[in-house]
Amino acid sequence: MRKFLLTTCVVLCTVLASAQEKVTLNGYVRDASNGEELLGVTVLIVEIANGVVSNNYGFYSITLAPGNYTVKYSFIGYKTIEKKITLDKDIELNIALPEELTELEEVVVTGESPIANVSSIQMSRNDLDIKQVKKLPALFGEPDIIKTIQMLPGVISAGEGTSSFFVRGGSADQNLILIDEAPVYDPSHLFGLFSVFNADIIKDSELYKGGIPSRFGGRLSSILDVRTRDGNNKEFEGEAGIGLLASSISVEGPIKKDESSYIFSARRSYVDLFLRAANNDNLVYFYDVNAKVNWRANNKNRFFLSVYSGRDDFSFGEDFGFDWGNKTATFRWNHLFSDKLFSNTSLIASSFDYGLGIEDPVQGIRWDSNLQEYSFKNDFNYFASPQFELDFGYHVTYKRFAPGKITPSSDESIFKATELQHEYALDHAFYLGAQHELSSKLTMNYGARLSAFQSIGKGDVYLYENPKDNIDPTRTDTLSFKSFEPIKTYFNFEPRFSMRYMLNESSSMKMSYNRMVQNTHLISSGTVPLPFNTWAPSSYYLKPQIADQVALGYFKNLNDNMYEFSVEAYYKTMDNVTDFADNAQVFFNTDLSTEYRQGDAEAYGMEFFLQKKEGALTGFIAYTLSKTERTIDGVNLGNTFLANYDRRHSLNMLATYDYSDKWSFGAGFTYGTGRPTTIPSGTYEWGDGYSADVITERNGYNLPAFHRLDLSATLTPKSNANKKWKTSWVFSLYNAYSRKNPFSLYTRVKQDKDGNIIGDGNEKEARMIYLFPILPSVTYNIKF
Amino acid sequence: MKNLYKYILFSLTVFFVSCEETIDIDTITSEPKVVIDGVLTNNSELNFIKLSYTRGFYSLDPNPAITDAVVTVTDDADNEVVYLHNPNNDPSKKGYYYPQTPYAGNIWTTYRLKVTVDGVDYTASETMLPVTEIDSLTVIIDEEEMEDPDEEGEFYEVLFYAKEPQDRVDHYLFKFYKNGLTLRDFEGDIYFADDDFLGESISGVPTAGYYKLGQYAKVEMYSITREAFIYYNDLSNLLNNDGGMFTPPPANPRTNLSNGAFGYFQVSAVDIMEIEIKDPN
Repeated sequence: MRKFLLTTCVVLCTVLASAQEKVTLNGYVRDASNGEELLGVTVLIVEIANGVVSNNYGFYSITLAPGNYTVKYSFIGYKTIEKKITLDKDIELNIALPEELTELEEVVVTGESPIANVSSIQMSRNDLDIKQVKKLPALFGEPDIIKTIQMLPGVISAGEGTSSFFVRGGSADQNLILIDEAPVYDPSHLFGLFSVFNADIIKDSELYKGGIPSRFGGRLSSILDVRTRDGNNKEFEGEAGIGLLASSISVEGPIKKDESSYIFSARRSYVDLFLRAANNDNLVYFYDVNAKVNWRANNKNRFFLSVYSGRDDFSFGEDFGFDWGNKTATFRWNHLFSDKLFSNTSLIASSFDYGLGIEDPVQGIRWDSNLQEYSFKNDFNYFASPQFELDFGYHVTYKRFAPGKITPSSDESIFKATELQHEYALDHAFYLGAQHELSSKLTMNYGARLSAFQSIGKGDVYLYENPKDNIDPTRTDTLSFKSFEPIKTYFNFEPRFSMRYMLNESSSMKMSYNRMVQNTHLISSGTVPLPFNTWAPSSYYLKPQIADQVALGYFKNLNDNMYEFSVEAYYKTMDNVTDFADNAQVFFNTDLSTEYRQGDAEAYGMEFFLQKKEGALTGFIAYTLSKTERTIDGVNLGNTFLANYDRRHSLNMLATYDYSDKWSFGAGFTYGTGRPTTIPSGTYEWGDGYSADVITERNGYNLPAFHRLDLSATLTPKSNANKKWKTSWVFSLYNAYSRKNPFSLYTRVKQDKDGNIIGDGNEKEARMIYLFPILPSVTYNIKF
Repeated sequence: MKNLYKYILFSLTVFFVSCEETIDIDTITSEPKVVIDGVLTNNSELNFIKLSYTRGFYSLDPNPAITDAVVTVTDDADNEVVYLHNPNNDPSKKGYYYPQTPYAGNIWTTYRLKVTVDGVDYTASETMLPVTEIDSLTVIIDEEEMEDPDEEGEFYEVLFYAKEPQDRVDHYLFKFYKNGLTLRDFEGDIYFADDDFLGESISGVPTAGYYKLGQYAKVEMYSITREAFIYYNDLSNLLNNDGGMFTPPPANPRTNLSNGAFGYFQVSAVDIMEIEIKDPN
């Protein structure tokens, strides 16, 4: 470690020294129409055929020898701007790129298409174009980025109707889901029918599956980095959508023109209103509220405050109800220490909670569980030269977990007030990453993250006669810890490396290795996380999960960069993946640690991806061949088994077609091998007529294959020039050929339609649950 | 607490308004395994040992009975009782074993079961723990059920009262009977509890099902060991499994029986109360 830092320091100093007599061009790249910063814009210096890319805050900086240069700013969907500059001193140049209005029916690519797919060092990453997501067919007409993410290569979904996704052999809790840098612990609404991401507010979303930059850490398998819009700082703007299930409204505008802006967006479902009207006692609703203000004090200082709050509320008559929700807040300060040193300082808070209530005079309880985390992050980008860029920073997070508290609802209740012990943790991380262009063909990114995770007091740790005895756990001793007293500290060094070698102008090879460490564990033994699952930190008994992944890829652009093609292969091993003993009781267990079983997982696969980003017809085809196995002592008798989310083949296609000014169409098709499940190898009666199954092998059977076609059409009537608003209709058809796709399989004693047992009750049957038949929907959007 | 879990699963199903259909699965039938259902209580009428084999998932016959096993139960003073297969030759009791002379067990005594089938021994050992007494049972009219009863006049609910001792760890199993027949709300329901979250006063907890006037409601309350509680909990999870989507993947219940036998040897003290359903007013 020390040697590594030293080397980097030497490299850095050399670069600094050599940069002395040079000058720097820097600034922000923005959308001309609304002032939003653009991320990932290519800034090319034509004379040296080299350039940089704007960072996550839209900032770029490039250091050159003094001279006359031609600078090209290009970004997909925007007009390329070319500037001739005389660089004789440090220059600050903010650029506003006008949107490229696609000339329909005329498939001509104007400007220069970026070849980021090939030239970027980053592999195993997918960007989602939110404009395209909005045109795609969606369940109940609600556009949802998570549903599009589930279609990407290397990503697997657990079927439909869930917001969980599985990346390269990782489980659903191994994805770090960020909204404006704040983690979202449960991204689901209505048990996953929709995600918490309101499409109206999203500016940019990226999914990292491998070669993960050193500034990210904390989860094993992926980072989903969602950034919200800053709000139009030129003029007031608004948008409203009326859907079958939910409606949304968003407004944005300048507080002070060109200097500060706000955006506010809200979405609420209204099934409950219909139910109420129909005198139904069962009420269900969810909402999301996003708000953001940002202020450009000057080119050197920018401030953002972004908050999110979302909640689901279910009640079943007057007897039973539950609710859950996420809240996040991010305060960011972007500061330029110099033309070349950009810093971002963030204060982040995130919380997740759920509650259940049973209204009953004697069995009534209220149950609450929640977790919070507070982070301070300091990130730096140092743009030393076009050939060398450095990222480094420090993150610290305080986490608090309150897994469960029972409050009896009345004095008559048979239950007594009880609370599970809270857990606390401090998570420190230092990271450093260098992007180094060694030659015009070879670029490398090397770095590391050092994480120091501490499980801290206040708390008691129970020692057991046998820590794995979950039948009759016998405590032998209790270790008590005071507030902030370390219980256990885990240091982990996470090397990150990636490289890109240009084979020719339109193709490259990329390779990456990364180690990831996860210190927060989801306590769930099902396939799909429920909002009622709790999280626990690495602690006395729970060890950090560690993943090592290597990936190799070939990237090629075809037909004048019209098509992007890539094929990637990955191999990933995971240590200490958290699982639970067969028959584990993970729900309100005071000796939960005796149920932990950690073991190994191995995942490998190949991903083929063909994407077309320009023209009237856009979309992608993704095919993934993969396998994921787990071997865990105490689970499935210690025998290797397929992970619940193992999927041999997965094929996804998405397309949108702009037919005319009025009409555009979208289609999505998905095919996946059936999910592995556990089926009985026999059955027996026991006790008072209970019919139990004999289980021999976990996940030894595949459900029938999953496939579905969705279609959509967007109608944008010609807007009257006098009118200030534009309207559009989105018609969706979900599951167009009404395939009965397996969701889950269970067994029961054979019954007739009315639920009466057939015959003498000896005959059993397997029942497949499926969710959605063909579902049409319509959404009406107004832009004002 | 497990009821809560059931509530959640139930509401999930309600929420998804999911459809389902029967499909054929190609199951591989594993080797038949011995299934032991043994009950020893302090009430001699409730005691029996039942032996059978597991069967194929799609088999239409009941578990094949084992009729030629050697069954003994020994207490901690080494008194051995030999159980005989169906001594009264009752055709409905094929596979059942009873002692020559029925006997009642005693609390705080540990009993060892030994079953020998085809030369293979299956054993278990379990201690009889004291059981809390049922204070009383009362009858109320369930207003909601009265509006729309399943059967004419069937809307009386039986409430249960007891004092849960707070100075010891208890685990309970309940069985409910209507006119002597087993009564459950759902096929896969097992009524069992630990006392982790229970206060002292257990007053007015509804029991399963609804009754008509003149019917008899019987409640049996068993003390069970922690191992038995785990067994029933596992069995309940297995019976109510959704295939591993939200619930844990199905798994065989953990048992006190050795050598891979299925089932359980339960040793319990039992308290029984029976009432006739009369109008509470």
